Amino acid sequence: MREFITGNQAVVRGALRAGCDYVAGYPITPASSILSDFVRAFAGELGIVVQTEDEIAAIGQCIGAAMAGARALTATSGPGLSLYSENIGLAQMGETPLVIVDCQRMGPATGGATATGDGDVIFARHVTAGGYPLPVLAATDAASAYRLTYEAFNIAERLRTPVIVLSSKDIALTRQTVDLDAISLPPRLARRAAADNGPYAPYAVDRPESSPAFAPIGGLRRVRFTGSIHDERGLLTIDRGKIERKLTHLRDKIAMNAGSLEDVDADLDGRARTLIVSYGVADGAARVAVRLLRRGGTRVSHVTLYSLWPMPVRALRDAVEPGVERIVVPELNIGLYADELRRVFPARPIESIQRYDGGLIAPRTIVDHVVRAESAKRTEAFQPC
Amino acid sequence: MNLLTTPRNDMCYCPGCSHGMVLERLAAAIGATGRRPEQVCLVSDIGCIGTADRYFECHTFHGLHGRSITYAEGIKRVRPEMTVVVLIGDGGCGIGTAHLVHAARRRAGIKVIVCNNFNFGMTGGQHSPTTPPAGHTSTTPDGAADYPFDICETVRVNGADFVARGSALDPSIGTLIGAALNAPGFALIDVWELCTAYYVPSNKLTPPRLVELSQRLNMPFGVLFDRTCGPKSLRAAEAAPAATPSHLPHDQAPPAESQAATADVVLSWPERTEICVAGSAGQHIRSAAGTIGKLAVAGGLFAAQQDDFPITVRRGHSLSNLIIATTPIEYAGLDRPGLVVLLSRDGLERLGGLAELPADCVVVAASELALPPAPARVLRFDAEPLARAVGRASVALSALAFGLVEKEWIDPAALRGAAHRWAGGEYKDADIRAVDAGTALSRGAVT
Repeated sequence: MREFITGNQAVVRGALRAGCDYVAGYPITPASSILSDFVRAFAGELGIVVQTEDEIAAIGQCIGAAMAGARALTATSGPGLSLYSENIGLAQMGETPLVIVDCQRMGPATGGATATGDGDVIFARHVTAGGYPLPVLAATDAASAYRLTYEAFNIAERLRTPVIVLSSKDIALTRQTVDLDAISLPPRLARRAAADNGPYAPYAVDRPESSPAFAPIGGLRRVRFTGSIHDERGLLTIDRGKIERKLTHLRDKIAMNAGSLEDVDADLDGRARTLIVSYGVADGAARVAVRLLRRGGTRVSHVTLYSLWPMPVRALRDAVEPGVERIVVPELNIGLYADELRRVFPARPIESIQRYDGGLIAPRTIVDHVVRAESAKRTEAFQPC
Repeated sequence: MNLLTTPRNDMCYCPGCSHGMVLERLAAAIGATGRRPEQVCLVSDIGCIGTADRYFECHTFHGLHGRSITYAEGIKRVRPEMTVVVLIGDGGCGIGTAHLVHAARRRAGIKVIVCNNFNFGMTGGQHSPTTPPAGHTSTTPDGAADYPFDICETVRVNGADFVARGSALDPSIGTLIGAALNAPGFALIDVWELCTAYYVPSNKLTPPRLVELSQRLNMPFGVLFDRTCGPKSLRAAEAAPAATPSHLPHDQAPPAESQAATADVVLSWPERTEICVAGSAGQHIRSAAGTIGKLAVAGGLFAAQQDDFPITVRRGHSLSNLIIATTPIEYAGLDRPGLVVLLSRDGLERLGGLAELPADCVVVAASELALPPAPARVLRFDAEPLARAVGRASVALSALAFGLVEKEWIDPAALRGAAHRWAGGEYKDADIRAVDAGTALSRGAVT
């Protein structure tokens, strides 16, 4: 059944489908309706929803709830993500499954509360102290907001990590036509449960990339949770061997699972010289631009990134390999992801199309850019040496 | 059963520090409740007392400075049957004051033990929010000047169910801790302690002087508030902490949406149309676009609605860009609007004039609105009689319906039919009336 819903409604539906049963949040435009929709969804004790005194309490409650066994979500915008920062590190260190939705707005600080932007893409990657990775997904529309929120719970549970889902004002509050039932979703995953008996250490892992077995606070197995550097029993340690083992695990459980985290939509033309890489709000315009370009006879490849971090390098390499001469990256910020692509593909010109005044990049802007670039190349080719 | 795994002398605290003694009293008080270790969670804050979790054989949670109360509340809401105890210092109560106050207001069923030694012991003896006036610390060498934070009174006036204060060196502190553990709802006990590394040597504080300090600051020892001992008439209503739903694993069903049935007929519509409804906050611009979008989707079409409004709620412009198409819409921005509905000067100003509109665009504008020159065809409607007929809140929807029919994108009877069939939600009747009135405004309408 097709529905006419906002990206925020899609987030709520995806979370419910994923079995989310704990939500704590603090009102902030453009994320607020996620909280109020959960108040309605959880009426009748289907879950717990709390409006807290601030964002710090919101994520703090979610971490406590998640370690007691809940599937927790908190949603905010850039200013709130800033306040989540320290607790995201706690969730990393404590290996807490947690879904964080960031409905981005324009600019730093309070910025433009009702204006769109994708300016948090680098902040989300390095959102907390220490420099350890966490998965970051980016919705492009209501349908992907639904799917990615669901997927985020699976990733959070499987890898026992906080996962950030990026949305933006023009996804969060824009209504679109979606048929959620037609979106295919993988089976719902739960964190690996600890055995009921035998020895139990809450942070024991057999391989650096695997996740520890979970026993909830309040269950029969006694659990130690800590944000300080700890051994596999959850006890503070100064043993360098144990410290290295723990921190290597925090790196490897994301880095070594990067392949399984890659989430892209690749629409490739093996003879294209231009590859458009898009994500977030700019993706819709990129899709339209690709269609217009092809209709006009320009061969072009297109990759939509749904997972931003770890960067889906394998899929991008596959798209770049056949002879792409330029990578065009439209994005609603000052060219942040283009900069990161330059590091990975130093030999290819990365051309950045930017807009950061709260308006959308129009399909025509992308078409004009590509046509200009392609014709400049042709002119160059005809010039006598 | 004793939850404490380590004798006091083997704990990491300085010689003479009273933390170990408080932990022994706490362990004994928990033991006296008869709760098993797996029924207890100790949530430790940061600072010297934040290291205490390692000495306890129960569930433990050690998080960030000042935030222990938030983790404890999350745990307690999911596991309401547990005893959740917070161990926090005076510094934690400062950085986490907001959580302390609001957890008390929510009457969260957590038990907060404040180990208050008037300074930051772990980081070098800096002043804390509870440092008494004239107290010497490394950051107040001439004596503290600020008013000391009365933790007990703060939570008491904000809804706490049980509040007590005592000296760690007084044997009765164990009884007070036990009373806090057994109190329903939010309980807090402020335990005054001696920091022998910093505050004691700098201020010549002794156990008897703690009592004097309590009198001098008018912060008495003992049970300061116990809701269960209030007047009997209040007891039933107030003793039970606010009900928190328990955590129930379940298969979630999506919430019921007021959603029209899926179309068995598809509305006839041009391939792609772009509409802008521009007016002011309070004119129900977004609702009008949303209603037409919903009807379109129910009628088997695709719609996308992108809104533009300032952060103010009942003031300023409100614009809705609505696209309706027969194929999926990937880009929700407007490229070439075919219909602009103008309801106020705010909306017109936000549009920045009409000169850029294509010549085949139709502008539907309230008759009192002065318009700049426009290449588009302009149609006027009288807002006042319309407002009297359908209500002010529905004028935008009527005007939009009028425009859709004038553009000949849809037959008036078909639009009325769609509204009667698929309108839903709280404003169903008003929406139907508005669409009826809007289509009747147009030429060729059957009245």
